[in-house]
Amino acid sequence: MITLGTALAFAGAAVAAGFAGVGSAVGVGIAGQAGAGVVSEDPDKFGNVLVLQALPGTQGIYGLLIAFIIVLNLGVIDGNVKDLTTFQGMALFCAGLPMAIGGLMSGIYQGKVAASGIYLCAKRPEETGKGIILAAMVETYAVLSLLISFIMVNGVKL
Amino acid sequence: MLIAMKKATLFALKEDRDAILLALQKDGNIMLISEGDKTQTLEGADKVGDQIAKAKDALKFVDLHGKKDSMFASRLPVSYDSFLHESKEGSDLADQIEALSGKIMSLRNEASTMTSQVDALQPWTDLDIPLEQLAPTDTSVYFAGYLPELEKEAFLEDIKELAAEPIVLKEAPEGRAMLIFCLKEDAARLKHFLKAHDFTDVVFPKRTGLVSEIAVDLTEAARVKNLRADELEAEAKKIAESKAELQLYYDQLTAKEERLANGGVETEKTFYMEGWVRNDRTVQVERAIRSVTDAYQIEFNDPAEGEIPPTEMENNSFVKPYESVIELYSRPQAGSIDPDFLMAPFHFIFFGMMLSDAGYGLVLTIGLLIAMKLVKPQGFAGKLGMVILFGSISTIIWGALFGGWFGLELHPLLFVPMKEPLKMLALCFGLGVLHLVCGMLLKAYMLIRDGDVFGAFCDEISWLIMFAGFFCMAFVPGPVGKYLALAGAAIIVLTGGRDKKGIPARLMGGLLSLYNISGYMSDLLSYSRIFALGLATGVIAMVINTIAQMLMEAGPVGTAVAVLVLLGGHLFNIVINVLGAFVHSSRLQYIEFFGKFYEAGGKAFVPLAIRTKYMNVTK
Repeated sequence: MITLGTALAFAGAAVAAGFAGVGSAVGVGIAGQAGAGVVSEDPDKFGNVLVLQALPGTQGIYGLLIAFIIVLNLGVIDGNVKDLTTFQGMALFCAGLPMAIGGLMSGIYQGKVAASGIYLCAKRPEETGKGIILAAMVETYAVLSLLISFIMVNGVKL
Repeated sequence: MLIAMKKATLFALKEDRDAILLALQKDGNIMLISEGDKTQTLEGADKVGDQIAKAKDALKFVDLHGKKDSMFASRLPVSYDSFLHESKEGSDLADQIEALSGKIMSLRNEASTMTSQVDALQPWTDLDIPLEQLAPTDTSVYFAGYLPELEKEAFLEDIKELAAEPIVLKEAPEGRAMLIFCLKEDAARLKHFLKAHDFTDVVFPKRTGLVSEIAVDLTEAARVKNLRADELEAEAKKIAESKAELQLYYDQLTAKEERLANGGVETEKTFYMEGWVRNDRTVQVERAIRSVTDAYQIEFNDPAEGEIPPTEMENNSFVKPYESVIELYSRPQAGSIDPDFLMAPFHFIFFGMMLSDAGYGLVLTIGLLIAMKLVKPQGFAGKLGMVILFGSISTIIWGALFGGWFGLELHPLLFVPMKEPLKMLALCFGLGVLHLVCGMLLKAYMLIRDGDVFGAFCDEISWLIMFAGFFCMAFVPGPVGKYLALAGAAIIVLTGGRDKKGIPARLMGGLLSLYNISGYMSDLLSYSRIFALGLATGVIAMVINTIAQMLMEAGPVGTAVAVLVLLGGHLFNIVINVLGAFVHSSRLQYIEFFGKFYEAGGKAFVPLAIRTKYMNVTK
């Protein structure tokens, strides 16, 4: 039987995966639009462009990670969903929040930096590395969100 | 370590200049300095530029029409002596291809113009009046054009009262093709109706005969042109097989362009050039010049005050590939330090911890070994490949330690990070502390080397004392730690503001220096990403395995799909996480490590040498 707690835990997994996924999707999309423009002028730059476009994609993966761990801990994979108390569920929901919000915003902004990095690589192909580093700076915050979400999820003993 | 550079000044005779430049290019050890306007570009430099453009276009054309090079095409070897003689065959090929491609393009253009003319004439093919006869007469005029289909009925109604004869032809996208004759007196009223019903005029081409015949003629002519263009393209395909000659020619031209770019400053009979040479290569440079002539004077001097030589790094073969990581960021400034020897082991360790799956490490190692054997990348790409190869070996080690094999948990030699996150975080932070301490020690070394021992003590050693104090407070019982930490903090506060005037300003400066501890804290926290990235790899692998397992329970079809999911999913995971591991390992070096001591902004040392895109010149 699904208790309110279990439902709240599901909600936590849902927001973590969902919002972080949106962040990555928007970010990768923005970078992809820039990339298409650059490649239309110079198809040889496709490799560099692709690398830069892939950078904002990690937030979605981190969100999936947190969602998966919550779902794993709930026992969904083996088929026996545990009954959680309301407070356990709320704790797991809050544990998913950092990844959700952090992943959403950092993904979008990392996408914008990646798009600018793509324009940088169009003007100066030899400095693509610097564009990659600039985009990777934003990822710090996604990593911090991932970390704290993970520690919080781990801390809820079911 | 950074190689010291010497500045070479050469005086020689102009008649020897070409031979000297050739010898220097073969030797590849001197980077010529341009004096701006005073430097003479040698004769033929512009011509070579045009030739290179022609060769490049020819190569592009050949790539379009010939066989595609496989991804793993290796460079063809060519001896230095053959490289010297400019390939006549290559030059002829370039000319031939230029002519061919020009002809093909003009033929295709003409054919397509004709085809579009035919399309324009399509609605008029039923017209039974030859075009040359279509003209106003003494009493009548005509209008030819398109009327929107919807207006046709209304228009025909309107003109019934006029003495006009409409000839309605085929429908076209622009409307219904129509030819209308009328008496001269009615022309004005007809024009009014035409305007009212959105009639658009059309102008016929100046040809003779019926429209249908003209269309047939044009179609035939276009077909002939296209056929001829096809023939020429087949010819081009044959020429494309001699691609190697063309590539050799291109490489020879680019080497020539580099040689002609800088002829030094000249007088009537002599010239003078300056260049940077590595400290340990001055003998070779002089020998190269002496092999041409003994009428020369060369001097090697240390760089003068204010002159900044380019930077060149030299390391043993384990550390050398990691120069690419520094090159991605910014070369060290001349006279500072090359941190490669410290950076390499940390990069190696961090990469392995971030990828942390021994199965992936194995796949990556084998894959890279095969790829590098086939492609034999040179220069920057070669170094980068080696960095990732070393990283994949590190991955095998850490994967075995953490028990990760393709996402399955097997025999961890150390512990499983997911099960004991705090232990893993402690490991990450411990390594982080080690990394930061190395950075600070490097800075202290640089300061002592430059003679500022007091500065090294106040700015670096003091912090180390304080950190040692914290360490002792946590692990060593007794007040040792507390006193050490307080001592360190005291030194920082008292000496942090030593550049300022007056006791209050100095104390303020000291307190602000102490505030830097927040900077160190955030640097340390950054190392937690090692845990996060390792976790990401492991959990995604687990997800892929779980999905495959669920599919396998659905019968044989499910099993087949599951195999695909496993292969595709793990491959995707490897690619994404190698990118992440490399970028973040490097980022930890650039921001946290280099931030402690690095002086960036070095210029690259690019000597005059034979640099080829396609050929592999053996001396």
